[in-house]
Amino acid sequence: MSAGRFRSQPPKWAIRFMHLFVHDDFIEEVEGDMEERFEDNLRAYNYARARQLYVLDVLKLVPTFLLRRSTTKNRKNYGMWKNNIKIAWRQMQKHHVFTSIKLGGFAVGIAACLLISLYTQYQLSYDQHYDDPDRIFRLINRWSDSGEVGYWSNVHGPLKELLEDNIPEMDKVARTVLWSWDDAGDNHIRRQESDYNIYEEGFFYADHELLDILDVSMVHGSRVTALTEPMTMVISATKASQYFEGEDPIGQLMVLNDNPNTTYRITGVMEDFPANSHLQGDFIMTLEGRQGTDWCCTNYSMYVKLNPLADKIAVEEKTIAMRNSLVIDKLREMGKSGLEQEMEYQSYYLQPVTSIYIDPEEVQDNLTHGSVELTRIFNLIALVILALACVNFVQLSTAGALKRAKEVGLWKVVGSGTGQLILQYLTEACVLSLVSTMLGLALAWLSLPYFNSLSGLPLTLPWDTVWFVPAMIGLALLIGVMAGLYPAYFMSRFQALDVLKSRYGERQSTTVMRSGLVIFQFAATVVLIIGALVIHRQFEFFMNTSLGFEKERVVNIVGMESMDVATRMSFKAELLKLSVVEDASYSRYLPVKGGAVQNRAFWTTERRQLDNGIEAAWWEVDEDYITTMGMELVQGRSFQKDYTDENAIIINEELARVLNMEDPIGKQVIDMFDEKSTVIGVVKDFQFETMLGDIRPLVMLLRPTSSTLSVKIQSEDMQAAVAMIAGVWDDFNDRQSIRLYFMDQRFESMYASFNKARTLLLLFAGLSIFIACLGLFALSTFMIEQRSKEMSIRKVLGASMQRIFLLLTGDFVRLVLIAIVIAVPIAWMVMDEILKEIAYRIDLTWTLFLVGGALAVLIALATISVESVRAATDNPAGRLRSE
Amino acid sequence: MKKTRLGEFQELVLMTVITLREEAYGNEIQRHLEDRLGERLSMGAIQAALKRMEEKDFLTSDWGEASQKRGGKRKRIYQATPEAVLALKQMKSIRAELWEAMTTLNPNIA
Repeated sequence: MSAGRFRSQPPKWAIRFMHLFVHDDFIEEVEGDMEERFEDNLRAYNYARARQLYVLDVLKLVPTFLLRRSTTKNRKNYGMWKNNIKIAWRQMQKHHVFTSIKLGGFAVGIAACLLISLYTQYQLSYDQHYDDPDRIFRLINRWSDSGEVGYWSNVHGPLKELLEDNIPEMDKVARTVLWSWDDAGDNHIRRQESDYNIYEEGFFYADHELLDILDVSMVHGSRVTALTEPMTMVISATKASQYFEGEDPIGQLMVLNDNPNTTYRITGVMEDFPANSHLQGDFIMTLEGRQGTDWCCTNYSMYVKLNPLADKIAVEEKTIAMRNSLVIDKLREMGKSGLEQEMEYQSYYLQPVTSIYIDPEEVQDNLTHGSVELTRIFNLIALVILALACVNFVQLSTAGALKRAKEVGLWKVVGSGTGQLILQYLTEACVLSLVSTMLGLALAWLSLPYFNSLSGLPLTLPWDTVWFVPAMIGLALLIGVMAGLYPAYFMSRFQALDVLKSRYGERQSTTVMRSGLVIFQFAATVVLIIGALVIHRQFEFFMNTSLGFEKERVVNIVGMESMDVATRMSFKAELLKLSVVEDASYSRYLPVKGGAVQNRAFWTTERRQLDNGIEAAWWEVDEDYITTMGMELVQGRSFQKDYTDENAIIINEELARVLNMEDPIGKQVIDMFDEKSTVIGVVKDFQFETMLGDIRPLVMLLRPTSSTLSVKIQSEDMQAAVAMIAGVWDDFNDRQSIRLYFMDQRFESMYASFNKARTLLLLFAGLSIFIACLGLFALSTFMIEQRSKEMSIRKVLGASMQRIFLLLTGDFVRLVLIAIVIAVPIAWMVMDEILKEIAYRIDLTWTLFLVGGALAVLIALATISVESVRAATDNPAGRLRSE
Repeated sequence: MKKTRLGEFQELVLMTVITLREEAYGNEIQRHLEDRLGERLSMGAIQAALKRMEEKDFLTSDWGEASQKRGGKRKRIYQATPEAVLALKQMKSIRAELWEAMTTLNPNIA
């Protein structure tokens, strides 16, 4: 530009002003046009006029450009993005070890998160399939006394009519029997024309209204009329195709347990219950025409459908008001005591059908429930694992940043702004997280079958839903931005001049940050290790603790409903002749899963009208039960066959304690049917329900006919013994195969859900350790590489290998130790909180924490050692010669 | 769908762009139009029309050469798209029909 021209410039402030509001994409064109115009004006007018016109023109540009952004379609700036992504890709290839560690960590983290969220999503998906789930409720009891609240589902049968007559808001009411009472539960079943009995589970009783309330869809038959006649049954589509392939199932007859008196006519075939329905079953038997229990007992679960306008709270209040008059009258007629207490503390509660499975109220029923706490814990673990993967990324990126400092300097020299650099590094992070999300998806997809077999759930990746792929991409970008933000900020702050003059190094704040992140990773890992250890130990404790009965050598032969009593007796006698059989006893009541359940309330005779009864389990056994099960009598005697033990009972220590019976032998107790019985023995307390709860009071009485035979075997070779028993069975019953269980396996299955939680926890603890180790490995590799020259000089000057090894590992081990110190109290508090719920819990001993901590140190040490040993054994000459 | 339309001033700018061909950049368009219309136009008016039509896909643009006259800044050369030409033709025929109708009924105007 010539000096003469210099004076004839448009006003500087106007140019600056124009730059303020005209977007960068337009400024060159507009400024050029304006300048050309200015020169035209200079020629046409004088200098002052030209400047005046320039300002005027600038002002007139305002409305056009003030809000206009570079949105013009054919001028989108793909170039920069293309460049950013290209550089990101080259960086990934250049540092392929670090890249694969970042990728691997992310992929595993994302896969774990995905599986966990599928799991928790599934838990929340229960019972959402009804047409109007807001109208469906289960009527349950609530007992609330000075802050303590308890819920249970069993109610009186005749309540149904009272509800139908007095609560018009209830459109429909249905009773169900969902526990093994009478034929509910499992049975042997055959078509009437067949003579071979097949074992089936999933029988329950229900009123015909249930089909309507729960929107059961019918394949054959009508849900309005099915189950309205006595001795009718609705079966699932699966079972229908199993028994009546190619035939019309409607009107067919099926016999339960070879007993012609329990022949049911099929009046409907329903779609199978969805896997995520709280109610499961394949055979619904009608309650129509059955002699049910009256106001004596509570044997039913009650489902109701409210009409659309009804208010739940108002209906509950109305129901309680009805209870206080009509129900209490009935109970008074029955001579029930404690009615005032009942009116005061007990009420009804309408539980929404959608919360039956997840069960926040912890209702006592016989259904399988999800656990809110477990879901919450797993969600937390998912977050922790993801955080660990993000920390890896931050660590490796900031550690790698020094290597890239020169690059940043050069970028800045050629004119990149901080914003552009941040964008570049965020792009790198996002590209990485997108790739790892894909890997993570593949990993989750591959491991889903194993995860399903562990968790016992039918989970699938929801590819077919609209939101899944966008959600995954969104998640990937979110993770990328989250993990990339700090490294991007960190790197873009390098000063061009400093880095190019090699005047840079680690800042104090970086070291602190890095140490903090290592501590966080290992603290989280140690908490998970200790958690998994504690749960594992608790499970071992359940399995191995002395229960008060023998479970290893006992098998249960079940399904003898189809044999008459005389045959059963001779079968038992025949078995006892075998040398491998030590003892045998008939009883359906067993201290393991699958045992029958019955409860009765008891009083000592003199307090019958005064107290609330003590609820005790009610077990019908035969005279060999105590010896077969290896239980111990602490007082009195067992039942004897030739004694007239008509009204004799054996109680457990717990019942004697709660009834305040100091010397119970010969004393009488009375039950809610006013039957009196005499205590002849006291059995030592044994665990007959899961050890998650306390041992409850128990009463045994002699009632020798039953469909389950427990056999105690005295032989090392259980398989051979079982084969011999099966041989005897076949001689007695050729219409049905023998079905027998090892009692220790049935015992273990009581803890199935606990065991699942344990396995999953172990799995995820392992994963988080893996991710933390990946990060530590990469970080140590990097640190050692940086100090390799220092180490070589130390070696030349005579440092021993051990010394160098200690120097290199010392820093990391110190961090891990700090992490343990932080983690132990947290783990202790968390685990104590979890174990509080369990009646028979292990103590949290310091050895547990020691083992957990030591394990963490060992794993960390092993991880760092890989590189440290190499550095310590390296030939220093090789490293030093390079310069 | 609403038909994308041309305003009266935009139509003038568009025809100028097509007339000027390789020389169709901001200043040249402005000079040309000022000569035709015999009045001063503001830069803002020209730019608004150009940017609006670019957004409506009637115009595309690309950088031209830089020249010393413009302080080293590049020109932006505009070019009409086929849609723009089509829109102009439609406008013309609508005008012709209307003119025809108008003059037949009012012969004294013609």
